[in-house]
Amino acid sequence: MIGLPSFRLHRPTSIEEAVGLLAEHRDDAKLLAGGTDLLVNLRHGLATPSHIVSLAEVPGLDRIDCSPEHGLTIGALSTLESLATHPGVEESFPVVVRAARTISGPTLRAMGTVGGNLCLDTRCHWYNQSFFWRQACGFCLKKDGTACHVAPGSSLCWAAYSGDLAPAFLVLGAEIKLLSVRGERRVPLDRFFLDDGLRKFDMASDELLTQVCVSATRAHLRGVYSKLRIRGALDYPLAGVAAAARIAGGGTFHEAALALTAVGPRPFLVEGATEILEGLRANDEDAIERVAHLARRLSNPMNTTWAMQPAYRRLRVGLFARDALREMGERGP
Amino acid sequence: MQKEALRLRVNGSLREALVPHHRSLLDFLRDDLELTGTKRGCDDGSCGACTVLLDGCSRLSCITLAHGVPGRSVTTIEGAGQPGRLSDLQLAFISEGGLQCGFCTPGMVLAAGALLQRIPHPSEEQVREGLSNNSCRCTGYGRIVQAVRRAAGAPEETP
Repeated sequence: MIGLPSFRLHRPTSIEEAVGLLAEHRDDAKLLAGGTDLLVNLRHGLATPSHIVSLAEVPGLDRIDCSPEHGLTIGALSTLESLATHPGVEESFPVVVRAARTISGPTLRAMGTVGGNLCLDTRCHWYNQSFFWRQACGFCLKKDGTACHVAPGSSLCWAAYSGDLAPAFLVLGAEIKLLSVRGERRVPLDRFFLDDGLRKFDMASDELLTQVCVSATRAHLRGVYSKLRIRGALDYPLAGVAAAARIAGGGTFHEAALALTAVGPRPFLVEGATEILEGLRANDEDAIERVAHLARRLSNPMNTTWAMQPAYRRLRVGLFARDALREMGERGP
Repeated sequence: MQKEALRLRVNGSLREALVPHHRSLLDFLRDDLELTGTKRGCDDGSCGACTVLLDGCSRLSCITLAHGVPGRSVTTIEGAGQPGRLSDLQLAFISEGGLQCGFCTPGMVLAAGALLQRIPHPSEEQVREGLSNNSCRCTGYGRIVQAVRRAAGAPEETP
């Protein structure tokens, strides 16, 4: 049994009070939403805040508004299960629901939140271990140590981003809203994630992610999300590919986009995929193979898990990309 | 250590205790209320042995703070049936042999109860998906799934 460390729990009842507490305690505070990531990390000494700011009593952050006219806005405290079972989102933004349904199982989906999944801590088998285990290995660059065991000599942390929702939102060009006592700012999601498992996000310690927004212009794109994992449920992705595209009446690709997760410290759009596919026939196997090759080439999984070899994870990225493009061309959302 | 009075409705009764901020709901149930039917397995949210119901929805109590669920109603395995009378679901687990060592059973029964609230007549696949956050290390899944389907009124399967 590993007990939780001692901390002071704050339960603000308004969003203003919540960001005020974050501003007051900055790096010494952590936000608690569903708790499925944070409480495990607290037990393992991976986070050691003196203050926890619970969002359980902050109203108004768990709304999902979805319409083909106004687009999609998701409050950061919406549970993953409420997203996975939302008929309107499934109809208009299918890639999001497909990604949400692959996350863990129903109990954890009913606890975990959209904001928490986007801000998931990066994962590595040298990091997601007990304090005792990590100490026995001399710790690592990400926490308490100075050396990266995955890429010795590296000054960057290679722990893998392992959220499933991020690639689905990336292919839809989503934006997020970040709130602090200094005001609100909107950040395109593809600029939110940083290529360093240690710094992870373009987000200050006093900022709170409040909303994810997808423009109405991205409604009714066909969408696919494919996830590599050991078991059919529960597991984090070892590679994930999200794809979205509009298939025009003549059977051609428009606004096609691909994004990858779990194959590097950040989820990212496959740059160049949209340009290659734009206006081409959805059964153009040459173009599909070129994009699949590009996705495979851009993915950079490292030895951050014992479950599967990086080479195999990379191979599957290409196969997922190819199959997703074929599937979108062949049938409806 | 910051302690604060905690009032929670557990199995229909209002329970009160002076509890530190960092106490998990699992520790509160087991150590403060001595409701040891809720089991401690992995302590990191991956086995489901500590599943309880929070307002009827399944929840992992090892990664829930006791102070983090104000005003909510908690049901543990002790409250799954009536005193002296097991619930239909518990009886189905017994009649179908849906348990071996029994350690995962409290969590399985509660997660299955939450599933049947959402989907009263689930298919085998829906039961398997609905219980996917609960591990049985005896691997007795077949009979557990059978028990849940029997409780939902599915006909008896012939081997």
